[in-house]
Amino acid sequence: MEPVKLKVSYAPFVRSKDSIESVMYNVALALFPATAMSVYYFGIPALLVTITAIASSVGFEWLTDKIRKKPDSCLDGSAVVTGLLLALNVPSSLPLWMVVVGSFVAIVVTKHLFGGLGFNIFNPALVARVFLLISFPVAMTSWAVPFAVDMQTAASPLGILKTDGMAALSNFSYMDALLGKTGGSLGETSVLALLFGAAWLFYKRYITISIPLSFIASTLAFTGIFYLIDPTTYASPLFHFLTGGLVLGAFFMATDMVTSPLSLRGQLLFGIGCGLLTAVIRLWGGYPEGVSFAILIMNSLVPLLDKWDLDEIKAKKQKSLTTA
Amino acid sequence: MISEAFIPAVTSLGSLALILGIIIYFVSKKFYVAEDPMVTIINGILPGVNCGACAYPSCNQFAEELVRTKDTTMTCPVGGADLAAKLGESLGIEMAEPKPVTCAVICQGNSDNARASAEYVGIQDCWAAMQAFAGPKQCRHSCLGLGSCIAWCDFNAMRIENGLIVIDKDLCTGCGACVPACPTGVLVMQQKKAERIFIACNSHDRGADTKRACDAGCTACQKCVKVCPEEAIVIENFVARIIQEKCTACGKCLEVCPSKVNCIVLEKDMVKSTNAS
Amino acid sequence: MKTFTIGGIHPPESKLTASKAIEKMPVPSEIVVSMSQHLGKPAKPLVKVGEEVKKGQRIGEADGFISAHVHAGTSGKVKSVKSVPHPGGNYSLSVTITTDGEDAWAEGLNTAPIDWKGLSKESIIERIKDAGIVGMGGAGFPSSVKLSPPPDKTIDTIILNGAECEPFLTADHRVMVESAEEVIKGLEIITSLFQGKAKPFIGIEANKPDAIAAMKKAAKGTGIEIVTLETKYPQGAEKQLINAITGRTIEEGQLPFDKGCLVHNIGTAVAIYDAVSCNRPLVERVLTVSGMEISSARNIRAVIGTRFSDIAAFSGGISEKTNQVITGGPMMGRSQFTLEVPITKTTSGILFINNAGLESSRERTCIRCGKCIDACPQGLEPWLLGNEAQFRRLDEAELYGLANCTECGSCTFVCPSKRELVHWIKYAKALVNNRKQRKTA
Repeated sequence: MEPVKLKVSYAPFVRSKDSIESVMYNVALALFPATAMSVYYFGIPALLVTITAIASSVGFEWLTDKIRKKPDSCLDGSAVVTGLLLALNVPSSLPLWMVVVGSFVAIVVTKHLFGGLGFNIFNPALVARVFLLISFPVAMTSWAVPFAVDMQTAASPLGILKTDGMAALSNFSYMDALLGKTGGSLGETSVLALLFGAAWLFYKRYITISIPLSFIASTLAFTGIFYLIDPTTYASPLFHFLTGGLVLGAFFMATDMVTSPLSLRGQLLFGIGCGLLTAVIRLWGGYPEGVSFAILIMNSLVPLLDKWDLDEIKAKKQKSLTTA
Repeated sequence: MISEAFIPAVTSLGSLALILGIIIYFVSKKFYVAEDPMVTIINGILPGVNCGACAYPSCNQFAEELVRTKDTTMTCPVGGADLAAKLGESLGIEMAEPKPVTCAVICQGNSDNARASAEYVGIQDCWAAMQAFAGPKQCRHSCLGLGSCIAWCDFNAMRIENGLIVIDKDLCTGCGACVPACPTGVLVMQQKKAERIFIACNSHDRGADTKRACDAGCTACQKCVKVCPEEAIVIENFVARIIQEKCTACGKCLEVCPSKVNCIVLEKDMVKSTNAS
Repeated sequence: MKTFTIGGIHPPESKLTASKAIEKMPVPSEIVVSMSQHLGKPAKPLVKVGEEVKKGQRIGEADGFISAHVHAGTSGKVKSVKSVPHPGGNYSLSVTITTDGEDAWAEGLNTAPIDWKGLSKESIIERIKDAGIVGMGGAGFPSSVKLSPPPDKTIDTIILNGAECEPFLTADHRVMVESAEEVIKGLEIITSLFQGKAKPFIGIEANKPDAIAAMKKAAKGTGIEIVTLETKYPQGAEKQLINAITGRTIEEGQLPFDKGCLVHNIGTAVAIYDAVSCNRPLVERVLTVSGMEISSARNIRAVIGTRFSDIAAFSGGISEKTNQVITGGPMMGRSQFTLEVPITKTTSGILFINNAGLESSRERTCIRCGKCIDACPQGLEPWLLGNEAQFRRLDEAELYGLANCTECGSCTFVCPSKRELVHWIKYAKALVNNRKQRKTA
């Protein structure tokens, strides 16, 4: 018999088809409907912001890999997803150089300075968004009007609510909010398109229902209580669901694998914490929108939530050792 | 007014500092740990690498034990004779002189000498490879060449060269930390000598099998045993071994070894002079 | 449909040989009978070079309590007694026999079937021990030891493992279809040892409807319950199978008999029947020869000691693309470094594959997706154990349940970062073992 060159490795010899790439590119694919909708509403500027964000993220990833002397990870999809999420978190009218600054904060500061993919504590795109929001507040809150001919801007529904109160929302249309025909950042607009993408991720089992469900449910419950107390001052839960970044945050940002807890209990607590913080910031905070702050605050608690589970495993084992 | 801004700030911060200072003073009194100043001195002399060669987990513990017992037989293999003299001087006792040892690799199965079996793909660590199969070389007693031991060496004295572990004699302190890290047992500690001869083969396979697997293998041919005037060479479990106490490094065995690559190795150690003090 | 409660995965089944009848492979010109085909100490060889042996002659004596006798697979002359490669990945002392082609049984063996119901419990166990029967599913625990649990343990459940959850393997499946009668009789012998106090079950995964039908037909009127199990890996692992059928959980450090259970393999049951009623020692077994790189994948009945190279030649040869040869299934099997290794009592299959993943597999960092936690049938945190192992924090790893891992490989299978989780766990186990040995030494 002809000799064959054998290679030895350790079991198992079959592996699932899942990889970092498949996870990341599926998330990117799931965000495609929302991106397409925003380009449809906001036109070429939205497209430019998206392309700039993705390209600069991938570029920074490549550059940091070179500096850190790590194997190339710029095409593993994580930078693409970060760039895309960043684009969906900023207004279409944002100057492109600010988008590049955002990508730098996301990729270099938030991800690689903490050790790269898998070690970052905070969601990179959200840190970039908050960084931009604090640094360039005017540019970050000048929302383009859908189908605008010139660079016409308007406030987002949540912004109107914050500054002018319920009375100013008399001509708010739930249908427009569902389809995304409102002012807002690229991804905050069409709830329908976002839910469509999230359904794909559930189908592919890349996200679990626990975080989005507890996140959204606690936001709705909390805002609902105050709506019932005083409907003239507080907006309805449905309004809170359809406006701002709640759906984007709950399905695509809070579920980021790296920065969310591992156990079901941790995930539920994480989701509830995000939801309550979002509602509190929206109702009484200084900013009209609280999703990004809420997720980032809860991100910082993830190591603690995980440690809680692990300490329980350890304690159980130590107990069995002492009794044995 | 300046006083309006200053006085509350200065008084509040000042009193806070005062109170904290008092608390710290009492805490440091209350929880003061009495430590023999000698321990600190001894600790300063010791190498401070916490290698564990002295059988104590850290240099500090060695120092504490030495100061407490004044046991003259306690030695630090890393520091050698110089250090023993210094320790004795500080403590005013005569310390026993440590026998300097060094690490020897009893395998010459590099990529040229040893024949490879199948290619190993997976975690690059000897112990991990051993979980998958007998190792990437045909000889299962050989150095696997994946370098598990390197991480255990506190002195940066080990590296992999051509699929074989190589020890830098000048850096090796003989602490012995690497010995248990080797799954095949090719690392052994040997006493340092001006000229040290040892058999660099670990193969317990029969002669024919050893020869098939490696050019530098000891086939237990007995030639060196017969030629040795000091009867310092014995065959144990299909491999020759030199009894270092008897060996005079005459070099006769080196001439008769029939292996393609001589399996007997002569090392010239730089034995540190003992009259340094 | 029953299944175990936590974890589990669905690897592609790839049962290429499910409908292929078992073929008898002719005895090759040389066989290599290893002295360690079981858990525990290797057997002591009883023959010398040049000695004539008969088929079924005992050539290795069990050494110690957990050890088993070894028998010549055919008649011939002993060529050598030395250490040779073993499918376990290492070398083991083995007797190489040049066969004479007569395949003549030693005297008193392979008799006409007798009525085993007349035999006492002790003599049944003695016959099983003499035949050198070990668990043929993979672990190779001596069956005679397993069948004599300590007197303080009451066995109320006996399970035959027909799950065969590993991809590719179909040996047990074909045995159940073709030798249903023998399987049932073997199980009846096992059950009789516990004076009818134990309830017999046969657990079969739902992807083998023909085996379920055959076993149901054969089991009619015997009191044996055939349990259809969900097709899910690792359904056939001892702890998971017990959990699926009885709902009981084997805790860390416990053995099945602590929970009143006894699990045997399908092949073992047939071997027990052969040994008890026909006085036939374990000298051949059914195994699956499969994989994408073998010309004709098939189920064969081969003499124990047949080399992989002979089996590959018998199955039409292998393609040049073969880069891995695996004993057992692809989830828990071992890859071989040479084709000169022989099959043993525990070889349930040989796979010839082209593992394309080898070239591209590079461990990446954990992205904390949690898939391994969901997959682990033991409820562990494989990502954490992998990390602790990688940085050699052995005490920590032990506290997180290192010893509880059954090495089923589900975590490595699902990991999108291609981390070698089960290998790291195995690595940590080896280091822990080594540390223990050094402490006692």
